[in-house]
Amino acid sequence: MTAQDTIRARARELLENGEVTTFIGWESGRFENQTTPLVITDASDADKLVCNEYCVNTLAKYARDVVTRGKVGMVVRGCDSRGIVRLINDQVINREDVYLIGVGCAGVRDRKTGELLKKCAECRHGDPVICDEMAGDAAGRPQPSERFKEVHEVELMTQPERSRYFEGVYAKCIRCYACRDVCPCCTCRECFVDQRRENWVGKQNNVAENRFYSLTRVMHIADRCIECGECERACPMGLPLMKLNRKVIKDLNDLFGEFESSMTLDEEPGKLITYDLVDCEEFM
Amino acid sequence: MSVVEANKTAQVGVPDSWEPKVIAFCCHWCTYTGADLAGLNRMNYPANVRVLRIPCSGRMNPQYVIEALNKGCDGVLVCGCHPGDCHYVTGNYYARRRMMIFKRLLEYEGLEPERFQVRWISGAEAGKFRDTVMSVVEQVRALGPLNLTREIPQFELPAVPDGQEAFNAVPEEVMPEEVSA
Repeated sequence: MTAQDTIRARARELLENGEVTTFIGWESGRFENQTTPLVITDASDADKLVCNEYCVNTLAKYARDVVTRGKVGMVVRGCDSRGIVRLINDQVINREDVYLIGVGCAGVRDRKTGELLKKCAECRHGDPVICDEMAGDAAGRPQPSERFKEVHEVELMTQPERSRYFEGVYAKCIRCYACRDVCPCCTCRECFVDQRRENWVGKQNNVAENRFYSLTRVMHIADRCIECGECERACPMGLPLMKLNRKVIKDLNDLFGEFESSMTLDEEPGKLITYDLVDCEEFM
Repeated sequence: MSVVEANKTAQVGVPDSWEPKVIAFCCHWCTYTGADLAGLNRMNYPANVRVLRIPCSGRMNPQYVIEALNKGCDGVLVCGCHPGDCHYVTGNYYARRRMMIFKRLLEYEGLEPERFQVRWISGAEAGKFRDTVMSVVEQVRALGPLNLTREIPQFELPAVPDGQEAFNAVPEEVMPEEVSA
């Protein structure tokens, strides 16, 4: 019995028993390698669910949207489960609101090239960190050795090179806010970019406004980023957003001690919402 | 010729009349009072600095810095009470962490470290305020105007395919390799 069969059977049971009102998983499109997230409320739809190596979407953010309808059943891998932990720790949802079926993940593949996605090649936790039950075995894949490799590469550039590099990035950005929409950390009821009257960020699409948006986004998710890499995958312009997110995580690690966000439900408060009297002093 | 003058003449296209524009975000309880004291003591410091009062250095939003640089400032200075002296007890401890991270992020993005500086200046340190402002303005003057790209550079659009060939072309999404083979 494969993990997919277990998921279908359990989803049907849960929906029939009324233990959950909605179930979130993936379904195939016309071909097996095209999958989209699927939200079902009817037990007869359970056979539409799939779980294969082309399930590229991380589901965590959908929990926030459907949790108002009642208890949500979900399939979770490493990234999904850490997203759920993030939502719970940010008090967006409660632990009782979700029923999690864990699957071990060995990485998902690009539907066109068949190669392992970048976010999965860099993934450090393929197996769920929380779940109510496991469907199939944990994948237990080895962690990649270098967490901040791409950050080091940029840091080695000279200052004008880095300036040119990121200006190129911002010149490409079309500010569709896809990176915000998929991010499990971006759960403000009203995002600053939508506050048109306050006019934090202008409506023009130019390098200055794109820089403003991008840097603010990075500072907002700084110590909560779960490194799922969804922002980069969702970006239609293929911008290297994780190079920014990981830079902040790397600095936080270097300055305030090693940490990894959203690994447990009782994690200590984020590095930027706490302080220490003995933090290093460089502004004297 | 001083180092500063040598640097300035080396920059191409910078008019002699150019003056750096530096914005200083000052905490109401310490640095703003310190700046006031500098004024009372008739201390001279460059007029290039624009002092803006914020209630506490913990109020310092990273967005203010990006906006200032985007809108034409050449340097940004953030000042607050010494750690331990905050009027709101802990505000500058939070600011310290946040600004340390943000400063590194800006430098990673290619901003010169001198253009964004943070200093703790108490209400009695009028001399330190004057010295800080003078050194920041001199450093920014030596760097020259901040050449941030603000607009999208012009680029050529790819040629639009036309004619029957384009009409008959099958989008790659519809026909993956394994099916067509």
